[in-house]
This record gives sequence, structure tokens and C-alpha cells, in this order.
Amino acid sequence: MIKVEDVTFRYTRSDEPVLNRINMTIDRGEYVGIVGPNGCGKTTLVHHLNALLYPTGGRVSVDGMNTDDESSVEEIRRRVGMVFQNPDNQIVGMTVEEDVAFGPGNLELPSREIRRRVDESLAAVGLKNHATRLPHTLSGGEKRLVSIAGVLAMEPQYIIFDEPTSYLDPSGRDRVLSIIRGINEQGIAIIHITHNMDEIVDASTIVVMDEGRILFTGSPKEVFGRVERMKSLKLDIPVATDLAWRLKQRGEDIRTDILTIDEACVEILGRLKNPPVS
Amino acid sequence: MHNWGQYIPGNSIIHKLDPRIKIVSVICLSVFVLGADRDAGLLLSGFMIVVIVLSRVTFRRVIESLRPFMIFFILLFSLHFLFTDGTPIMESAFGGLSITYEGFYMGMYITWQFMFLVTGASILTMTTAPSDLISGIEGILRPLRIFGIPTHDIAVMLSLALRFVPTFLEEVDRIKKAQMARGGTFKKGRIIKKIKNIASLMLPLVLSSFRRAEETATAMEGRGYKRGPRTYLRALRMSSADYAALVLMIVFMAGVQLLHF
Repeated sequence: MIKVEDVTFRYTRSDEPVLNRINMTIDRGEYVGIVGPNGCGKTTLVHHLNALLYPTGGRVSVDGMNTDDESSVEEIRRRVGMVFQNPDNQIVGMTVEEDVAFGPGNLELPSREIRRRVDESLAAVGLKNHATRLPHTLSGGEKRLVSIAGVLAMEPQYIIFDEPTSYLDPSGRDRVLSIIRGINEQGIAIIHITHNMDEIVDASTIVVMDEGRILFTGSPKEVFGRVERMKSLKLDIPVATDLAWRLKQRGEDIRTDILTIDEACVEILGRLKNPPVS
Repeated sequence: MHNWGQYIPGNSIIHKLDPRIKIVSVICLSVFVLGADRDAGLLLSGFMIVVIVLSRVTFRRVIESLRPFMIFFILLFSLHFLFTDGTPIMESAFGGLSITYEGFYMGMYITWQFMFLVTGASILTMTTAPSDLISGIEGILRPLRIFGIPTHDIAVMLSLALRFVPTFLEEVDRIKKAQMARGGTFKKGRIIKKIKNIASLMLPLVLSSFRRAEETATAMEGRGYKRGPRTYLRALRMSSADYAALVLMIVFMAGVQLLHF
């Protein structure tokens, strides 16, 4: 479990806090979506989860290990993997397989074990046949997959994805999203930052942030049910939810706790076939 | 179009040799070449030809790798050819300069030495993947660790540098296009203008690489990087073939050395 207790963070003492008294917990196997406008502190918050940043006030612990504790930083970074926004700067190996081997190499694992992990991780993201390619010859989507494989090779319990679908085309995005879902199904907790709400409709929890604070937390249905609040924050809601909400605004008596296009289809078709007696 | 000495994936004996042996051999051979007389030179050339055949790198590729140095070869040869005293072949052949047998011999000799060095180095890089080359260098430097030289960190730095070369080239291209889109020109103009153009490329490039470096450093830390020992995907381990090659090299070089006396 990752526990964030009363965390405040400022870059220098005089600055406004970037994070302001944040409390949250992330259980094993959970899928947490984090949303909020640019500059609200999402990235700063997740950098606290694997000891890339240390809280100015409060504490962060991963499976009982405090991130302030120098001796557990290595283990924390192994358990909490992070896929950064820009894969270009995150790939450090001269070939795909060497990049994936970078993390396990830092753990000082024997070469045989590194080989096993590299092969498994590349297979998991579907890049098995690209092991010896050079990073700069990869497409944007493939680079993202390589950075995911690099994190998987650490065999973490939690993986943070910071806007994993930015710069990707629709097919690349679908591929990345289905891989994230697959990873979660193996019991690895996911922390997923995004602006695209459709990506996190099957998250277990969604955290809404603004100006360094957590405004509210809840299941996707609870969070996206607060359509007006979300809109006042200039945040999106899933397309299907928006559609249902607008129909409701126009007087249609329709369920508004709809999250996906499929659900919307069922609801609308049902109404077309047997119109409610008014 | 291939870059000079670019790695050509393959499965030959030379490809499979331990990179440490290849690097040390190239260095030793180069030292020998600089002090070689005619007989040793023939032996060394023969040896190099055997290595090229074994490496299954085509002679065309070897010659291609020499081509960028052609101007130096010609320059080196003509300097010696034209300015060495000795038995003349032709008096005052080129406006008072006489060409001599000794000059011809010296020119050929120096050019051969230089060609040999380039060929050796390019066979090394053509048959060794860059990452193996780096772990080879790291392996050779490893004893220096007792003097506190951080060989692991040097290896990581080298591989990062190689990894980011293409990225930087792309970046230059991007900055150039962005400036051309706003009316900048890079082709025309006088020297002063060109220097100014390069300055206007360098500034954004340097700034963006600092940003990149910071992000990369954070990402490396996030993946558990720390200074000091680490392990690699491919561990260097000497096979019996490597030991055989090592013995062969030592015997060969001892033979060349003995020939001198």
C-alpha cells in the first residue's frame, strides 16, 4: 500500500505550496486515475510516490517504507515504476533490449536473470521482434512501449503512467491502454494521470486535483456524476456521460451515470424501442 | 550510404570474439605497424587480410570505409613522394622538385601504415556492436577502479552519449526547420551570416539539451540508477575460442617481434 499523509511540497521555502496537505492511499492492485488542470500538481504528486521528490511536510510510505529513509529508496524505486510523459528522454539504452535491461542492471541482477526479464517484458508489450532496434528508429508509440517494458522489467508492484497516451495516434493509444489494463489484471496497481476521461472509466478510483489539493475522490460513476462541478473546473467528462447529461438537460429522463459509448447505446436504444410512457 | 565503420551485424568468428580481445589486438597491431619494417609489414598485412576474410566483411565495405580518408592518403603520399631526397627517378619533374625512389618508397610506406590503422579500427567497429564495444572498453578499464576511477559510470556516460547522437541531430533539424518556417535562411549569405546562423541554432540546442539532460537524469533515477557497480544484459565471459585467439595474437606478435632481430 502507498500511503500519502498530509503531504505538502514547495520548491523553496517562500514559494506557494505546489502540493497542499494531500492525503491518499493506493492499495495493491488498484487502478487510480488522477485528473486535474495543467499545473495542478499531478506530476509533482506522483514524483513523491517513488522518492523522486521528498515532501516538505507530511510523509509518504510505500509498503511501510518511508520515502525519506535513504536506505529504502532503492527498494521503493523498484516497487514503484514510473513511465514518464516524454519517452524520448527516458530511453537510455543504445538498443531496445539494452534499454529494458537498464533497470535490472541497476539492481545488479545476474545476466541470465536480466535476459529473462528483458524477453518477458518485451513480449508483454509486443516488441519481441524489435529487441535489437535502435531507439531513434522507433515510432512514438513504440518508444512508449519500450519505456513501459523498461518499467515492467523491474517487476514493480505499482506503476505510475504520466499521460501515457500523449503524442500518440489512436491505434497507438488503444495499444498502450490495453497494455495498461493487462498489467492491472496481473495485480499490479496503476496510477494513471490523464486529461482524457474516457481512458479511466474503468479505474477503481479517480482523484480530482486542483491547485495542489485533492478536491474529491470517488469511483468513476461518483466523480463523473458531478458533471457541473467537473465542468466548473474546466475538466472533461467522458463523451457518453456528457451526451446523457445534455439529453437530460433537454428534458429527457435518462440515466446520467453512463460512462462508455456502449452503455449509452444500450440506454438510448432501449428508449427508442420502448419509449417511456409519459 | 553507410557511415564510416558502422556496425554490420554478423555471425563470423571475428564478430563473436570478446570485444576486449578485439580492442587490445587493434591497439597492439597499430603500435606494431608504426614500427614495422618491410617484412613485418608484409606479415601484418597478411594477418589483416586473414582477419577481414574471417570477419566476412566484404572487401568492398573495407574500401568504402577507407574512402573518406582518401584525401589524407593522397596528401601523405605526395608529400613524401615529392620531398624526399635520394636516387632520382626523374629530375625536376614538377617545377624543380625531383621525385625519387626513396620518396616513392616512403610515400607508399606511410600511406600503408595509415591505411592499416584505419582498416583495423573500422574492422573493429564493423564487427562489434556499439554496446559490446563499450562493455569491452569498460572491461579493459576495470582494473583502474582500484585508483578510484569510476569505470561503470564512464561506460554509462559513453553509451548515453552514443544513444543521444541521433536525437541531437533530429533536434538540430527541427530547430532549423522551425527557424526556416519563420523566414530564416541557412544556405545563402556570407561567412559572417553563416556564423550567426549557427549561433542561432546552437542556443536553442544547448538549452533544450539541458532540459533533456535533466529529464533523462530523473528518469534514470526513477529506474534505480545509482553510481557504482551495475550488471549488464551481456556479461563478458572469455570462451575457449577467445583464449585461443588471445594465444594466437600473442604468438603472432612475438613472431613479428622476433623477425626484427
